[in-house]
Amino acid sequence: MTGPRVLVVVPCHDEEESLARTIAEVRARAPGVDLLVVDDGSSDRTAEIARGLRVPVVRHPINLGVGGALQTGFRYALARGYSVAVQLDADGQHDPGDLEALLAPVLANQADVTIGSRYLRPTGYRAPFSRRLGMLLFSAIAGAAAHQPIADTTSGYRAYARAVMEVCQHDLPQDFPDAPLLIALARRGFRLREVPVTMRERRAGKSFYTLSKSLYYPYKNLLASVMAMLQRSPSR
Amino acid sequence: MHFLSRTQMIFAIGAAVMLLTVLELVRRRRLSEEYALLWVVSSVGMTVLGFSTPLLESVTRALGIRYESSTAFACGVTFGIVMLLYMCTRLTRMGREQHALARELALLAHEVERLRGEREEGRA
Repeated sequence: MTGPRVLVVVPCHDEEESLARTIAEVRARAPGVDLLVVDDGSSDRTAEIARGLRVPVVRHPINLGVGGALQTGFRYALARGYSVAVQLDADGQHDPGDLEALLAPVLANQADVTIGSRYLRPTGYRAPFSRRLGMLLFSAIAGAAAHQPIADTTSGYRAYARAVMEVCQHDLPQDFPDAPLLIALARRGFRLREVPVTMRERRAGKSFYTLSKSLYYPYKNLLASVMAMLQRSPSR
Repeated sequence: MHFLSRTQMIFAIGAAVMLLTVLELVRRRRLSEEYALLWVVSSVGMTVLGFSTPLLESVTRALGIRYESSTAFACGVTFGIVMLLYMCTRLTRMGREQHALARELALLAHEVERLRGEREEGRA
């Protein structure tokens, strides 16, 4: 009898400089998990590098955003019978050493989604003031909707149970799957849990969150969060 | 009154020409029946309103507008806003569909690549 299968989904957009190291690190720190690189319309050698390392690559013909890449990962995982999918950034910010802690509550059926949080233990990470303000706002909204405190709504280091993937494969915010996704999942009755993790500096590449997106992000996320709260509570 | 009649005439003829243009585009299959619906309904409405002075006057009075020409203008602006909103909803839906297609295409391309690799390994 085999245990639950775990797929680590690595959404990538122009990550040729950091991808190889991230893959090597995941293989070294979490040898039991499978990897999938979702190349979200990169213009560099991201896909080539992943293939060279014998990692399956699904390549989007156009850029769909983090949510789109994650959704592709979910569909891939569901089709191949994976029990859990983990979202892990290619830029080296997420430490694969935290994978075990992130997976444990989902594998033990104590949570449906775990969120790798920067704020549950002191890590020295200090965001700029404007960002902190936004984080506080979205934490308050998501916390109110989920009826539990959620300190880190913007963390992209998460583990999702199969039932969550089944729902999200059809409907998931495309560009910023942060607070609105957590609110929607909480309202569907999924159990969320934060797990303390260490976030590191980006090794290379550009962030998904560019200057123009940093202006668009609060507007879009606020509107989507409020709408997610107002929508009728859907059944699973 | 002369000015109003001329404005009304331009409004009515313009709406009728628009209606004929829309129907011609549908006939040539350059505009689908679905998208033509709003154009047809509004063109017919404006043509009727334009050619029927009593109707235009009563609509103007009912809306509390002072001049009939302003009613014609308000109709045009309202139609433009409704059309823009409708187009935005269509764009949203098409964007979602485009994303879903891109994801499916990517997954199928991956599957083809995987099967091709297996076949080549089998031959070797």
